[in-house]
Amino acid sequence: MHQIIRRIFGTQGSKNDAKSRLKLLLVHDAVDLTPAEMEAMKAEVIEVMSKYIALDRGEVEFKLERNEGEIALVSNVPVRRVTARAG
Amino acid sequence: MSECIVITSGKGGVGKTTTSANLGVSLARLGHRVVVMDADIGLRNLDVIMGLENRIVYDLVHVIEGECRLKQALIRDKRLDNLYLLPAAQTRDKNCVTPDQMRDLVAQLKEEFDYVLVDCPAGIEQGFRNSVAGADRAIIVTTPEVSAIRDADRIIGLVEAAELPEPTLVINRFRQKMVDRGDMLDKADILEILAIPLVGIVPDHEEIIVSANRGIPVAYDDESVVGEAYRRVARRLTGEPEVPFIAEQPTGFWSNIKRWMGMSPARGAV
Ligand SMILES: Nc1ncnc2c1ncn2[C@@H]1O[C@H](COP(=O)(O)OP(=O)(O)OP(=O)(O)O)[C@@H](O)[C@H]1O
Ligand SMILES: [Mg+2]
Repeated sequence: MHQIIRRIFGTQGSKNDAKSRLKLLLVHDAVDLTPAEMEAMKAEVIEVMSKYIALDRGEVEFKLERNEGEIALVSNVPVRRVTARAG
Repeated sequence: MSECIVITSGKGGVGKTTTSANLGVSLARLGHRVVVMDADIGLRNLDVIMGLENRIVYDLVHVIEGECRLKQALIRDKRLDNLYLLPAAQTRDKNCVTPDQMRDLVAQLKEEFDYVLVDCPAGIEQGFRNSVAGADRAIIVTTPEVSAIRDADRIIGLVEAAELPEPTLVINRFRQKMVDRGDMLDKADILEILAIPLVGIVPDHEEIIVSANRGIPVAYDDESVVGEAYRRVARRLTGEPEVPFIAEQPTGFWSNIKRWMGMSPARGAV
């Protein structure tokens, strides 16, 4: 039902695509980082973090976000369990 | 006190020249002394949009190179005697003028006029640098499309880098029907992304093509909605910031239902 209402009222029109693509484009333009460089950074950071915590590599999220002109790198790292640390 | 406003966009074809002409007419109709300067050297258009192409003898480059006096190059509008055009050269290129020369030229024009509007060429190179050189502030024109907004964002950064105050935005070619069905970015979406103050929403309308055919800017036409949109931009720029935006009130059946059901906020005359 909800789906039907959304379709009728057009809340899923192409403008949502436009908006999400734009937001992504603009942060990449602003930090001047290519998607490939982002991937490389993500891989390195995961490498470092996995020395300390057990994480699902496939689940790690890394994205640049922009809010009112401010840009932030937002990451979501699901942790499985903390590995036993020396000391 | 006079002011120089550059009309710019980054992306080509979004409506800088249309906006310059109509804003010029609108400001002049409010009684201000206005000159619109075509800074698109090599690709002049503003003369045609204003219907003044047959009166050009001298242009901006002649003035800068000292081949004529400034007054000789200024063309008076056919209808308003407080509106003038300073045409661009058609057979030269943008690199024949420097930012310093433009700054001097604008300073001279500001002695004679209340408003100097500069119609900036597309791009971010020499033509852009020349156009912003003498400007006190900038109006960014965009359309509700991904590529135009991306370029607008870039230009906002360059305007700030040029140490001009925060620019303001005109959204051109707006189509309420497409917004209502979710196929066009809305005012709020665009403002959320670009985060600069809005000074105008101009509907996409065939009147613009008719007026370009005739060489009579729509802002002369009291019956025209697009003309009214431009006249309101002029009012917002001249001390009436609260003038409501037109083309904003959803008119379609679905949007009325939507509003009635509380699914979309009523956006009336605010
Ligand atoms: N609100 C509108 N409704 C319909 N057509 C429009 C509107 N605004 C502009 N246009 C059309 O879009 C085209 C480009 O407009 P215009 O020449 O003003 O853009 P520009 O930004 O100055 O372009 P350039 O970058 O080439 O200088 C013209 O054909 C014009 O008629
Ligand atoms: Mg133009």
